[in-house]
Amino acid sequence: MSIDSEKPAVMDDETPIQERRAPMSWGRIGTYVGAIFVSLWILVPMYFLFSMAFTTQETVRSYPKSVLPFVPFSTSTMRFFLGSEGVAEGLANSLIVAVLALVLSTLLAAPAGYAVARYLFTGRDVFRLAILAVRAFPIVVLSIPLAVLFIRVDMFDSLISVALMHTVLALPTSILVIASVFASVPYELEEAGQVFGASPLQSFRHIVLPLVLPGIAASSVFAFVLSWNEVFAASVLTLENRTLPALLLNSLSESSDAYQFAGGFFLMVPSLIFMFFIRKYLFNMWGQVSK
Amino acid sequence: MAEIRIEGVSKVFGDTYAVRNANLTIHDQEFLVLLGPSGCGKTTLLRAVAGLGMADAGQVLIGGRDVTYLPPGERKISMVFQSYAIFPHMTVRDNIGFGLRMSKTSKTEIKRRVDEAAELLHIEDLLERRPADMSGGQRQRVAVARALAMQAEVLLMDEPLSNLDALLRLEMRAELKRLLREVKATTIYVTHDQIEALSMGDRIAVMRDGVIQQCDEPATVYSEPVNQFVGSFIGNPPMNFIDGVLRRVDTGLVAEVGDGFQIPATSEVPDELMPRVDAPIRLGIRAESMVTSAEPAEGAIEVVISVVEPLGAQNLLTIDLGDNRLKVSTHPSFDVRPGQTVWLQLPAEQIRWIDPADELVLGTGAR
Amino acid sequence: MVAPTVKRRRPLTPYLLIAPALLFLAAFFGYPMVQGLILAVYDDEAVLPLLEDPGIEAESLGTLPQGTGLTVLDQRANLIDGELTSDLLTEEWFKVSALDSNDQTVEGWAPETRIRIREEADDGTPLAGTVRTKLAAGADPQTTLFQEASESADTAAKLDARTRVRIVDTATLELWFLVTPQDDETEVDQSLEGWAPSRFIQIFGEGELGRVDRGTEGQFTSRFIEKMAEDRFFGPAWRTTLLLMVLILPVQFVLATLMALVIHARLKATSIFLYIYSIPMGMSDLAVGILFFSLFTGNGFINSFLEGIGLIDEPRSFLSIDTRNWIIAAIVLAELWRATSIVMVIIVSGLQSIPDETLEAAELFGASYWQRVRYIMLPLLRPSIQVALILRTILAFQVFAVVIALGGGEVVTVLANETYRQYFALRNTNVASAYAVFILLLSIASAFFYLRAVRTQDELSST
Repeated sequence: MSIDSEKPAVMDDETPIQERRAPMSWGRIGTYVGAIFVSLWILVPMYFLFSMAFTTQETVRSYPKSVLPFVPFSTSTMRFFLGSEGVAEGLANSLIVAVLALVLSTLLAAPAGYAVARYLFTGRDVFRLAILAVRAFPIVVLSIPLAVLFIRVDMFDSLISVALMHTVLALPTSILVIASVFASVPYELEEAGQVFGASPLQSFRHIVLPLVLPGIAASSVFAFVLSWNEVFAASVLTLENRTLPALLLNSLSESSDAYQFAGGFFLMVPSLIFMFFIRKYLFNMWGQVSK
Repeated sequence: MAEIRIEGVSKVFGDTYAVRNANLTIHDQEFLVLLGPSGCGKTTLLRAVAGLGMADAGQVLIGGRDVTYLPPGERKISMVFQSYAIFPHMTVRDNIGFGLRMSKTSKTEIKRRVDEAAELLHIEDLLERRPADMSGGQRQRVAVARALAMQAEVLLMDEPLSNLDALLRLEMRAELKRLLREVKATTIYVTHDQIEALSMGDRIAVMRDGVIQQCDEPATVYSEPVNQFVGSFIGNPPMNFIDGVLRRVDTGLVAEVGDGFQIPATSEVPDELMPRVDAPIRLGIRAESMVTSAEPAEGAIEVVISVVEPLGAQNLLTIDLGDNRLKVSTHPSFDVRPGQTVWLQLPAEQIRWIDPADELVLGTGAR
Repeated sequence: MVAPTVKRRRPLTPYLLIAPALLFLAAFFGYPMVQGLILAVYDDEAVLPLLEDPGIEAESLGTLPQGTGLTVLDQRANLIDGELTSDLLTEEWFKVSALDSNDQTVEGWAPETRIRIREEADDGTPLAGTVRTKLAAGADPQTTLFQEASESADTAAKLDARTRVRIVDTATLELWFLVTPQDDETEVDQSLEGWAPSRFIQIFGEGELGRVDRGTEGQFTSRFIEKMAEDRFFGPAWRTTLLLMVLILPVQFVLATLMALVIHARLKATSIFLYIYSIPMGMSDLAVGILFFSLFTGNGFINSFLEGIGLIDEPRSFLSIDTRNWIIAAIVLAELWRATSIVMVIIVSGLQSIPDETLEAAELFGASYWQRVRYIMLPLLRPSIQVALILRTILAFQVFAVVIALGGGEVVTVLANETYRQYFALRNTNVASAYAVFILLLSIASAFFYLRAVRTQDELSST
C-alpha cells in the first residue's frame, strides 16, 4: 500500500462533492409516466380544438381530420368568428362584466378578508360559515330570483346586473382567499411597523400591502376568470347584451362548427394564462375549506 | 433621561385581568427584567408600555411624559419582538433602517446608523440579503440591530432569546448584556427563563397571574423571596419547602418536622413568628444552603438518600423528609450513593419562614 | 386592594370592515333568494276578487281562483283604471251634440253600440254619425245620452233613432263583467256573483262564457311544484342528473386522488404538472362542452382516428337523437376532464396538511407506498374528501352548458337545463323557481348525507 493512497477521507475545499441522489426507482419512473399520461389527457383535446380554431374553415368541415398541428395554419376561422354578428360586442361585454366583477369583488372582499384575518369579533365564525354556505350555493338557484329582482328594478339585460351576479359568486371565495393571505402576514409585523414610528396606515402600506398584493391579485384574477366563464346566470340575466358565453350558448344550435371552435378558444384562453399566475394560490382557495 | 413609570396599570381581556394594578418604576438606563411563567401577564404589561394594546386603567410615563394614550410610534421607544417580526419583503438594510425612514431621517444618516448597528451585531455582510433564507440567529441579530439603530432611550424586548437553541442563547445572552451596557438605554426585558433574568437584569420584577410579586435586585429576589411562588420560580433547583408545626421549647422556637425532628430558629426570628406557636409553619431553604455530612453532627437530621444526580459542578441529592421531598446540592467530591444514610443540617439563618395559609414569607414585609 | 376601574371597549372596526360585503350579499343574495323561494310556492295572481259594483273601489264579495269557468251575466263599460294594455276589452264612448226631438241642442255621452259613425277625419277620428235604431221589441226606442261616459251616470238627454249627431269627444272605457261560476265548478262558491274588469277575464264565443284569466291577489300554492312534477322533462332530467353523478363521481375521485398523489410525490417538474392539471379548473363548462363536441362530432377527431387505424369504414354518429348513450358518455368524459382538477386541489391541500414525519414513521415501520396511501393518507384525507364530495355533488346538480353543447338539451336533459328552459323558453318563472328550489333541496340533502355518512364511519371505527 503506497503512501499516496492514504489520503484523508475528509475532502479538501478544492474538490467539492456532488449531492448524492437516490437512484431512480421503478416506482418513481412509473409516477413520471402516470403524470405525463394525465397531462396528455388534459392537453391533447385542447390541442385539437386550438388547431381547429387556427385553420381554414374548409379544414374544419373536412373529414377525416389530420392530427398534425395546425395544418394548414390560417386565421380564416378566427376572422370569420370575430366578424360574425354580435361577437365583437359579446367579447367587449364579457370583458366589461369581468372587469366590473373583479373590481367589485376585490373592493368588497379586501376589508372583509382583513377583518376575518385580524379581528376576533363576536359573530366571526358565523360570518365565516355564512360565507362558506354562500360559496357552495348553486348558481342555478340564485339566477332566477336575481333575474326577477332585476326585472323589478328595471336593471334586466344590463351588464351591471350580470357583473353584480358574478360578484356574488366570486365574493365568498375572494373573502376567504384574502383572509388567508392577510393571516399569513403576522400581526407582529404591523406592530413592529408601529413601534418603529409608522402610523397604522403607513404600517399597512409599507409592510402589509407589499406582502399581500400578490395574493389579492390572485383572488382578483380568480374573479375575472369566474366571470369570463359563467354561462347560466349570464344567459338568464341578459337578452340583447349577451356576454360571450351566453352568446355562444344561445347560438349553438344554429352556428357552424368553425364558429363554435373559435368561440371555445376564446373562452379557454384566459384560463390558460391566469391559471399559470394563480396556481400557487389554488390551495389557499380550496385548502382551508377542510380545516 | 428616560425613566419609565408604570402607575396602576391594568389590562383586561374579557372578564379576566391580564395585568392587575401594576406599579413599577424603571430608572434611567436601568435593565429591568420582567420574569414569570407563560400567561402571567408580563408580555401584556410590556405591550402596554409599548402602546400595543392600550392599558385599560392607570398611566405609563416615559421620561416624565404621559404616553398612556400615545400610539407606539410617538413614544420614542424601540422593541425586539419574540418572533423578531422581520419584514420579509425588505432587505436587511431596509429592515434596520425602517424606523429611521419613517422618522424622515436623512439618507446619509440612515446609512451611517444602519452600518453602525450592523457592525455592533456583526451582520455587515448580511445587509443586502433578504430574511427569507436566513437562520434564526441571524434574524435575531437583525431584529436587535433594527431596535438599536433607532437609538431610542427606551428599549423593550419580548423574550428575544426564546426562539434560539441553547448554545446560541447562551452566546447571545452575554452579547446582549454587553450591547445594552454600551447603548445605555432604559430596558425592559421580558422572559420566562429565570437564569436569563438572574444573569442579565439590574433588577427583576417577578409576575404571577397579572400581579407583580416582587421587584428587587437579582441576589435579593433569589435569597429573600417575598413568597413561596418567587422562591420556587427562581433558582434551579427551586427552593425546598418543608411543612411542620411551630413549637416553643426551652431553647426558643423550633419547627417540628418529619418524625418529631426539631429545627431550631435563630435568635433573630421575625416578630410575626411569636403568635404562631403550635400552628402549622412552612420552612423554605435553598438546595445549596443545607449542609450534608456522612457522619452524625450536632443538630443534624438523619436522612436516607433516594436519588443522586451528578451535574458536573455539583451533585444533586433527592432526600425524603417526612412528606417533603428535598433537593440538596453537594460538592462532587462528596461521594454518596442512593440508599446511603447521611446527616443534614439546616442552618437557621438560611431558613425562610412561610405562612402555609397565604404562602407569604414572614419578616420580609410582604404583608 | 381596590380594583382599578376598567374600560370595556367593543371594537367597531371589524364590523365596519365586513359591512360592505355583508350588505352586498344581503341585497344580491339573501333578498333574491328569499324572493326566489317564495316564487316557487306563491302565486301572485292566484285569485280574483268579484266586486259588488263595476269599479275598482267597490266592495269585494268573494274570490275565485285562476281558471274558474264563468257565466257572464251582464257587462258594463267603465273608465279605465290603470294603463291601457292589450288584454283589455274596451268600448268606445262618444260625446255627441245633437238636436233632440224638441229641437233643443243637447250634449251627452253614448256608447259606440248606439252610434253609427258616418263621417271620419283623415286620421280616423270620428266626426259625425247617427243614432242607431233599437231592434229589440218593447225596449225604449230612444237612446239615452249620459252626463258622463258611464251607464251609471245621470241621464243628460234622450235621442230618437237615426238622429244626426256631431261627435265632439271620444273616450275609451273598459268593459266590466258581472260573472258567476259555471255550474260544473264545484270547488267554488256557486252563489258568488260579482263584477270584474275585462283584463282579468277571458271571454269565449258570444260573450256569455269565460274564465278567470289571472287573479289580483296572491296565495300560497303547490301548483308550480305540481306543474314541475308533471312536466314531461322532469323525470328524465333528475334521473339523468343522478345517473351522471353516479357515473362521474367515483371515477373522478379515484382519478383526482391519483393526480394528487402525483403532485404530492414532489417530482422535478411538479410545478409544471400542477399548472397543467389545474388548467381545466378555470374553464367554463360551455368551453369544455365545445371541446368534446369537436372530438365527438361526425367529422371530429375520434371518427378520424378510428378510421385512421382502420376500426371503422365511415364516420359514426355519436351525438345524434338515437345515440343517447354516446351523448351521456361524452358528457361523462367532458365532466371528468373539467371538474377533476378541483377535487385534486382539495385533496392535495389535504395531503399537504399531513406531516411528513407521519409518513416517514409509517415508512420506517415497513409500510409500502400503497400501504401508506391506504392506511395513513386516505384515512387522514377523510375531511378533505368529504368537503370535495359535498362541493362536487352540488356542482354536479348544476351541469348545464356541457349537456347543451353535446346533446342540444332535448335528448339528454338535466335539472339545470330544465330550469333554464322553464325560465327562458317557456317564460314560466314560477316553475323555474320550483326547479331551482328542487336543486337546492337536493344539494342540502346530499351535503347532510355526506356529513352523516362520514361521521357514521368515524363512529364505527372508534368502537
